[in-house]
Amino acid sequence: MSARDAILARLKGPSPDQAEADALLVAPERPAVNEATLEAEFLARLALPSVNASHDVVGSMADLPTAIARYLAGQGEALTLCLPPDPRLTACDWGGFTLHDSAAPDEAAVLAIARRGIAETGSLIFETGPTAPMLPNFLALHHIVLLAVRDIAPHLENAPLTGPQPRAHYWVTGVSGTTDIEGAYVRGAHGPRFLHVILLRN
Amino acid sequence: MSGFTDRAEAALADPILKIAVERTAGTAEAKRGIAIDAFPDFEAARSRAAAIKDHVIAHLGAYLEQFEANAIAAGAKVHWARTADEACAIVIAICKAEGAKSVARSKSMLGEEIGLPHALAEAGIGRVETDLAEHIIQLADERPSHIIWPAMHKTRDQVSALFKAKHRSPHQEETIAAMAESARRELRTQMLNADVGMSGANFLIADSGAVCTVTNEGNAELSLVPPRVHIVTAGIEKIVPSMPHAIHMLRMLARSATGAALTQYTTFYTGPKRAGDRDGPDAMHIVLVDNGRTKMREEGLAEMLRCIRCGACMNHCVVFRQIGGHAYGGTYPGPMGAVLTPVLDGLAPNRDLIHACTLNGKCQEVCPVRIPLPTLLKGWRDKSWREGLEPTSMRAGLGLWAWIATRPSLYRPVTTIAMRVMRLLGKKGWIASLPLAGGWTRHRDMPRPAAQTFMTQYKKARRP
Ligand code: SF4
Repeated sequence: MSARDAILARLKGPSPDQAEADALLVAPERPAVNEATLEAEFLARLALPSVNASHDVVGSMADLPTAIARYLAGQGEALTLCLPPDPRLTACDWGGFTLHDSAAPDEAAVLAIARRGIAETGSLIFETGPTAPMLPNFLALHHIVLLAVRDIAPHLENAPLTGPQPRAHYWVTGVSGTTDIEGAYVRGAHGPRFLHVILLRN
Repeated sequence: MSGFTDRAEAALADPILKIAVERTAGTAEAKRGIAIDAFPDFEAARSRAAAIKDHVIAHLGAYLEQFEANAIAAGAKVHWARTADEACAIVIAICKAEGAKSVARSKSMLGEEIGLPHALAEAGIGRVETDLAEHIIQLADERPSHIIWPAMHKTRDQVSALFKAKHRSPHQEETIAAMAESARRELRTQMLNADVGMSGANFLIADSGAVCTVTNEGNAELSLVPPRVHIVTAGIEKIVPSMPHAIHMLRMLARSATGAALTQYTTFYTGPKRAGDRDGPDAMHIVLVDNGRTKMREEGLAEMLRCIRCGACMNHCVVFRQIGGHAYGGTYPGPMGAVLTPVLDGLAPNRDLIHACTLNGKCQEVCPVRIPLPTLLKGWRDKSWREGLEPTSMRAGLGLWAWIATRPSLYRPVTTIAMRVMRLLGKKGWIASLPLAGGWTRHRDMPRPAAQTFMTQYKKARRP
């Protein structure tokens, strides 16, 4: 008997009842979010010490390069950016920037578009795809994220969970941190040390 | 003396260990408390989490088949292993077939449980642990002492010395930030150049075939995206029906483990790289591991399969906080370890481990999936008694006590005499050394008994 058959033979039982599985999800306990002030709630969670992200607001995509230049200058970084091949980003005027579309091992800054922002936790939801590589967002020191205000949602259940799924969904709720040496918190353990969110109003 | 008793003795005599354990567990306890107070109805949420896990365990076979079908549809290969050895053999065979020379591993307790580090070493495959604590443990050639903070027993000076001895370009400044930076430099190239990335799974999503990992360091993603192969080893109990079920469990896991609302990086991997994707592995293998779990389900330990490995039970355990994790001797320390280790390593060699518990119930109170840990431990104690594993002296002593205790006319004078003798041994309310019971008083004092027995006081109080 194969290992599979042997294990499954010992686990034989009734098939799960979908209604029973669904009933386990009715009115889940979760932090309350006021939908009337979604953006403010999201920004408040972003600023919590556990998430520790900064933010900026732009009125349109045309303002994005200026906002990023402002951020990088404030951080003492050169205008060098890893830019994914997303037409919404490549269409911007990046004059003055040095761009590349794959990240170097010591990449300073990367820009990515989040599919959702979640007010409950201050999380940013990403999906992989041909125009959305994953690795740069874990390599760069500065993780810069563009998020449309209309994509802010109250709870984690509002992440795009239905329909065809990407190879990877990843939820970012802060920077790469560790408390592994004597409990002391250090930012930038492996990946980003800084998270900067740019909200797009339009 | 047995292994556990020796290890506990050594741990109790180590003042640095006590400070280290207290610092980490105490901080975790405080942070969890704040997070739970801020959460609406955590008690109801615990009941829901337990119900989700019970539902899955009742239908485990069907959910595993559903997961398998969806993972295969997404392009992953699914393997099944009855035992730790089978699981390791599958992993090694995949590595060999891929011609893999190096593996980047993201912390997985299941990997420790099945002895994967050892199996890789035997096969001559290089392994780099990428979680900072696991990296420290690997350099020190030690075992994890906690399931969330595996290097909690190491001081900064010890870590500094290790990094200076083993890193190619170690830190110059004696700060924790500089040490972390040294590990970042050391590990980054190794992660980017590994042939295989290995992880466990915090959750397996039945209706999509996705594998979920959570980390605060982002080391899972850096270990699993660049290599050409991703191998997951996961316990079969890690299944949840769907993403919304996983979301509930994630809320419970993060708050119970570190007091956070969510871990910094939560990733769901569904199969290997797709057409057009710019990164990700070419192949994804998922090894579903039983290793005693079906037996637990059949033999009265099904509730233990609810465990989501949050570590709250050990952070709140008075015994763990005295002796740390290594004294437990198995892969899993603390109360959950005391229940699991006899399953994994046998009851006879762990007979004294199941007694290392005051049954104060704190672990059960904080467990996010309401596992009745003290009841399960008592079940092991019963089994140990029934199977004749308790030492003759213990059986004789208890037999004598039972004989006297069922004869009140004898019990009362005997306890009165014992109390008087004990009062003579005590000073200022405490007994520092008790003949024939040195084990009790070696590391702590015993309270001096009251002047009169309960029955004497009771009779006096009833007298008009
Ligand atoms: S037994 Fe409960 S408290 Fe302990 S690690 Fe498992 S889930 Fe967490």
